[in-house]
Amino acid sequence: MSHSGTGPVVSFENVSKHYGSLKAVDGLNLDLRSGETVALLGPNGAGKSTSLDMLLALRKPTSGKIEMFGSDPYHAVQSGRVGAMLQSGGLMPEVTVLELVTLCTGLQPRPVPIATTLRRAGIESIADQRVDRLSGGQTQRVRFALAIVGECDLIVLDEPTTAMDVETRRRFWATMKEEVSEGKTLLFATHYLEEADQAADRILVINRGRLLADGTPAEIKARAGAKQMSFRLPNVNEPFLLGLPGVSSLDVRGEVVRIQTMDSDATLYALLDAGYRPSEIEVGSLGLEQAFLAITEEDDRAGAGASAGAPQEVRQS
Amino acid sequence: MRGTLLLARAEIMRLRRNRRYMITTLAFPIVLYLLIAKSAKATVYGVDFAAYYMVAMATLGSFSAALTGNAIRIAQERKEGWVRQLRLTPLPANGYVVAKIIAAMAISVPSVVIVLLLGRFYGGVHLSIGAWITIAVVVWLGAMSFAALAIAIGYRLQPDQVQPIALLIYFVFLIIGGIFFPLKGFLQSIGNFTPTYEAVKIATDVAGGSSVNGGLIAGLVIWLAIFSGLAWLSVRAGAETV
Repeated sequence: MSHSGTGPVVSFENVSKHYGSLKAVDGLNLDLRSGETVALLGPNGAGKSTSLDMLLALRKPTSGKIEMFGSDPYHAVQSGRVGAMLQSGGLMPEVTVLELVTLCTGLQPRPVPIATTLRRAGIESIADQRVDRLSGGQTQRVRFALAIVGECDLIVLDEPTTAMDVETRRRFWATMKEEVSEGKTLLFATHYLEEADQAADRILVINRGRLLADGTPAEIKARAGAKQMSFRLPNVNEPFLLGLPGVSSLDVRGEVVRIQTMDSDATLYALLDAGYRPSEIEVGSLGLEQAFLAITEEDDRAGAGASAGAPQEVRQS
Repeated sequence: MRGTLLLARAEIMRLRRNRRYMITTLAFPIVLYLLIAKSAKATVYGVDFAAYYMVAMATLGSFSAALTGNAIRIAQERKEGWVRQLRLTPLPANGYVVAKIIAAMAISVPSVVIVLLLGRFYGGVHLSIGAWITIAVVVWLGAMSFAALAIAIGYRLQPDQVQPIALLIYFVFLIIGGIFFPLKGFLQSIGNFTPTYEAVKIATDVAGGSSVNGGLIAGLVIWLAIFSGLAWLSVRAGAETV
């Protein structure tokens, strides 16, 4: 990834969106650099969709400033440099797929040839069908087509693969890779952790409207206590195990002990040094899902008390 | 503007395909004219019944086209997210509304023209070229206030609320506006303030060669201003909830 001299593609500066007393987005700061593929990861209601809506000029922030390509969101969208697909986006009824794609291509300052769009979205075979008579998966593919009808520099997708079948999803990501390889920046919100892990080179974890973590998938996993260790040990002394170096959480069922640890080596050595001889030792990486849960749960617990707190940047950028 | 015109063209294509819409805007006034124009020998608003009814049916066509198609479509397209999708394209923010008005005004042209042609060749109405053109323009432009009303309703109400409310407004304005038959007494004194009556009366005055009351023209302009203002408020209120 080259994050050379040019300014950020997207920047959020202390952006908040309040609905009455509800803080949907609460002091969000982030920068996207050119060419990155970034996943916005968070549970339902975390503020993902509201953030994307504000980025795309559909909603105005209560406070703070959003810039895209150095201009305000509305003019950035007007310039045709952004292609977007939202969960809530609908299609014009009573026209054929081809007519709709043709219309939306015509709105672009730098249109992509229609045949290319149809092929990339995998909708050549349904081009002559009426938009209002498509299945859910076909509709999703047409909405995707509308996001790529222009030669844009940034693609924004909100939960793009929801309602897609396995084949469509595979094809979708293949197309996205093609687009990204042309140097486009991609920002997508998802709750499929696997997808974020595989597709993104950077993950932003948000919860309760705030940025909790920002890093590569590997860094996010490391953030939550990177390793999971399990072993069998009779007569367990729980306080002792919790006191071992690096340990972040402990789960004991009978003789089977599971430990999440930041430093599996140190934990294990300390255990052995103390004279214990556990059996069936297994050490493995924590999945992104567990890391994600660990990060958001930790935040939810903290949120029960005092709210604010700066996001902890994992990445050194 | 190019994008707005492209969208308007697509809107016109959709409307032309919609059979129910074409029946209410095109077939309805034509059939009514053929059935009724020659059934009465009377003078209405100072002109022959055939001439009055020609003007009334042309007004019916243009006002129907302006209101009924757009109001419900706008409400539906907002709910289904098409309006939102368009906001993600380089189309200007007002492009959707402007395209809807252009489409409604364009689709009402055939009904006005056909009814006037029927008036000439079936109803036996003879006028100067200037009078024909003036009548066509008055009846056509008069409907613009209803195009604005459609936007005010469509942006404000849910799709299931739009249908009954639009129909209610539509029939009240048609009936007390004297479109189906000229009214008398109390109802007429109210009806005289409707845009439908104003359009018909201006057009029949032109047809009868009498001078047009400036108050009628002012009335049409005021209705357009009121409904445009409501439309503007509705669109603005809906901007954050597209």
